[in-house]
Amino acid sequence: MSAWRSLPPLGTDTLIDDPPARLDSGDRGALDEQDDRADLAAYRQARRRARTRRLAIGAAGLIGLAVAWQIAATLIGDAVFLPSVTQTVHAFLHYWDRPYPSQGKPLWYDAVISLRRIVIGFAIGVVAGVTLGAAMSASRVARHLVDPVIEVLRPLPPLAFIPLFIIWFGIGELPKEVLIVIGVTPIMAITTVAALDEVPEDLLLCARTLGASRLYTLLHVQIRAALPGILTGMRICMAGAWTSIVAAELIAATSGLGYLIGQAGDYLNIALVFSGLICIALIALALDACIRGLLLLTDPSRRT
Amino acid sequence: MGAQADVGGAGDLKVTGPADTTEPAQGSARPGGAEVQIDGIGKTFRRSGRRTVALAGVNLEVRAGELVCLLGPSGCGKSTLLRIVAGALAQDEGTVTVGGQPVKGPSPDRGMLFQSPMLFPWLTTKKNILFGPKAQRSRGLDERDDPELDAEADAILDTVGLGKFGDAFPHELSGGMRHRAAFARALITRPSLLLMDEPFGALDAITRLRMHDFLLNIWEQYRTTIIFVTHDIEEAVLLGDRVAVMGGRPPGIGEVIDIPLGRPRHAVDADTESFLVAKRRIRASLMV
Repeated sequence: MSAWRSLPPLGTDTLIDDPPARLDSGDRGALDEQDDRADLAAYRQARRRARTRRLAIGAAGLIGLAVAWQIAATLIGDAVFLPSVTQTVHAFLHYWDRPYPSQGKPLWYDAVISLRRIVIGFAIGVVAGVTLGAAMSASRVARHLVDPVIEVLRPLPPLAFIPLFIIWFGIGELPKEVLIVIGVTPIMAITTVAALDEVPEDLLLCARTLGASRLYTLLHVQIRAALPGILTGMRICMAGAWTSIVAAELIAATSGLGYLIGQAGDYLNIALVFSGLICIALIALALDACIRGLLLLTDPSRRT
Repeated sequence: MGAQADVGGAGDLKVTGPADTTEPAQGSARPGGAEVQIDGIGKTFRRSGRRTVALAGVNLEVRAGELVCLLGPSGCGKSTLLRIVAGALAQDEGTVTVGGQPVKGPSPDRGMLFQSPMLFPWLTTKKNILFGPKAQRSRGLDERDDPELDAEADAILDTVGLGKFGDAFPHELSGGMRHRAAFARALITRPSLLLMDEPFGALDAITRLRMHDFLLNIWEQYRTTIIFVTHDIEEAVLLGDRVAVMGGRPPGIGEVIDIPLGRPRHAVDADTESFLVAKRRIRASLMV
């Protein structure tokens, strides 16, 4: 049982939200029990202030990193070893729509290529994983059948499959997309099973005693209650998918941000290497923000 | 969850009842409560070859509008019995009728409240309350239209003292408020029977006292029949018209004790002599 509860190890990840509120019996609740006139609006405003403060601290952290980088680069004074922030920004803007000589494509092109691979592989992986997870949650046989397969495949790093996929699927787009799919599917299956399992039986019984049909309960309660857990799984997978695709492009590709970084490194254009890294970070941040937006939409207790 | 841990095979508890369809609500204008007739109920759980007798030969008659407490230690089958009456669990033997109708599956006519309020965390308080009517309307069981339901939800919110918190999400409410919201959600479908499974078991002692007064007050207004499961003797004496003491091997109902306290009752009635006498009587019955 506990195997279902444990999430796969997180690699690069950004799941640093405050934890969602728990509605089980151990939670005393937010508003003061003694005072029924406790003001909801004031409570929400206080939470918003806390959020602004948290965001401000987060922004300060990023600015601090940039300042430290700039000082270090100035002290070292060697743009090939460590270009400064300004040099990197300059390189980023310069190569954004100008082809880099060794490759003949601009930065935006590689960004779009990587993004396309991610989106296609991620979408297929999520659909497959959620379907598999739902089947495992609904059927004991499916669970016992698929569980060992996942347990065997899950610890294998997707990158180890690259030579195999090149032989099987050639050197086009397909092996990269398959690589992401096999990374995403098992994790999505596990998080989906966990999310569905964690919906309390009594919540479903509650819906039924309120007059909901079985189908209505399945759609409006069971699946609905599992959505935040599934979306959290998607955030984990998205981070993992980026790691895989960039690594794959470094090793075996002729386009994409990973390839660009490799090329720029070979030619000692370190400012362009940093530009590629920043581009990866920005896209990853944007994709995560999309999923996080959905998460906030489905789970009010995470809205601050 | 404590409420489910009563029997060895509690893991077998299924949400869905023996029948595939939920029974429709009995005439929504029914005032007061329904009488409950429990006849020769037996239930055995089978788990990995082991048989656990959870209930055997249980009989209980609950009058319309009565508040009966099922009192007993963990594992005495009181939650199992409640779930059978709710239609969430099929009995092996015996029959249950509520308002003359045999129980065939979960129904909005038999509301249920749990130890945890089981609010839907993605809905505001008001939308939680409207869940039942809307779910019923989707299958043509509730005729009320939106403005009518809206007005009724507002009225019920006021009744349970949450008038200003209709737009709050469950996580923003205090523990007691959540229970009151769960009450409101069960009341709007106008059940003739409320089944309460240790609903205040997880609250702190003071909030619990408030909820006792709250429950007694609501019950005076609605007069639905209530079956209230608890393992707290004082709670059982304070709330119940009668207390059915459960236990024994195989588990069942032992004595059913009348509580000679007047109505309406309040939490302060716990300081009277007849309260103490009733309490002593029940304790003696539990020790047998």
